[in-house]
Amino acid sequence: MSAPSPTPPRHDILRLRVTAKDADTLLALLRETRPDTGGRPHVEPDGRISIDAYVPDDRVAGLEREGVSVTRIGNASEAGRAAQAEVGTGDRFAPADAVPHGLAAKLAG
Amino acid sequence: MPYLNITEVESALTSLATAYPTTSHLLTLPEPSIEGRTAHALQIGAPAGTPRACVMMIGGVHAREWGSCEILVHLAADLLEAHQNGTGLGYGGTTFTADQVGGLLQRLDLVFFPLVNPDGRLHSQTVDPMWRKNRDPANSGGSADPNCVGVDLNRNYDFLFDFATAFAPTATPQVSASPCDPQVYAGPSAFSEPETRNVRWLLDQYPRTGWFVDVHSYSEDMLYNWGDDDNQSIDPTMNFGNAQYDGKRGLPGDVAYAEYIPKTDADNAALLAERFCQGVGGVRGRPYKPLTGFHLYPTSGTSDDYVFSRHFVDGDQGKVLGFTVEWGTAFHPPWAEMRNIVLDVDAGLVAFCLATT
Repeated sequence: MSAPSPTPPRHDILRLRVTAKDADTLLALLRETRPDTGGRPHVEPDGRISIDAYVPDDRVAGLEREGVSVTRIGNASEAGRAAQAEVGTGDRFAPADAVPHGLAAKLAG
Repeated sequence: MPYLNITEVESALTSLATAYPTTSHLLTLPEPSIEGRTAHALQIGAPAGTPRACVMMIGGVHAREWGSCEILVHLAADLLEAHQNGTGLGYGGTTFTADQVGGLLQRLDLVFFPLVNPDGRLHSQTVDPMWRKNRDPANSGGSADPNCVGVDLNRNYDFLFDFATAFAPTATPQVSASPCDPQVYAGPSAFSEPETRNVRWLLDQYPRTGWFVDVHSYSEDMLYNWGDDDNQSIDPTMNFGNAQYDGKRGLPGDVAYAEYIPKTDADNAALLAERFCQGVGGVRGRPYKPLTGFHLYPTSGTSDDYVFSRHFVDGDQGKVLGFTVEWGTAFHPPWAEMRNIVLDVDAGLVAFCLATT
């Protein structure tokens, strides 16, 4: 009996800043490549328009084309894994007197 | 204090309801999630003999936008504690007096539903941090592709759900009919998912809801209606329900279509969004912007447009202005920064609530 095929490793997701020369170019890119986007389109002072895209590292080249520049901002998968280490374990509100207090300063009067 | 896991979001609400029995009420949502989890909401307000206007706030819809739950849990905790002890609230440079806090809880019911999508949050916090959808496998067709699991809950509401018919062929709506789209699959039908049906149920329980805020990330914006096209307040017949405009929606800056919004609603929504941003900005200067949801490309099936559309579809429904907070500049900021964002956004939400009339 053959061993089951291993699940192929998933590529890390990179956070990219995609900057197009104009809105039409960016819209065409979004239509054709349908990347996972984060945030909203941002118009640069020189009229170019940019948006964050989250793309597996093996698909970055597919975004590159005339009128578009792609800048690597970071490794989103790596940042996410680091954040997972900051998730609570157990239940900090299980004790009867453990009530959430909020983060605001409570100001007299 | 690190990010809350899904058990802690629920136990935080239970704990608040127990600690503040006269000013809070725990609500159990009727439908368990796909993986069988029961969700809760918390209504807060001073005891009242008559029904009051309501502000409803939801979060934890997109799994990877973790801080949304913390924003709402901490806000509820701040308001309850300040009201009970007769104190004001200080969020950096934005402060509120005890009279303002007390007045808020006298005048309004505030309903917090901080974790709409518990299955997705668990998956994001323990397996795939970039996961966005719920965990519904029903439409995967048996595919082994992990992307074929899940529905984007903020495309699953009944607003222009048939986006292929509603929008112009050259529009670029951020939505998909493909069950294997990793991010924005809208589901097989509007309200196909228990999580969105829970939100609809909650709205039905509070018919005096006048304002609805869905907390997301990111972009440091406060979005208001509409998200399918530019706004216009001239032609009431040019609206989302008019099939005559099918195939024309969703293009920026054109004359073929713009979504109708009564001018008073547009003005009120813009003012409230501005007040939110002012509240945020006072904390430590983050420049949140008030914008309509339509900016370059359209959306459909979103909560904010659905809640506002209900009144136009059925005149018996109260009018609910819909808003979407897009906090921060990343999905998973380190907790030290997320803590600052909680202060920013909670200040904005208190300012927002104070501006409702």
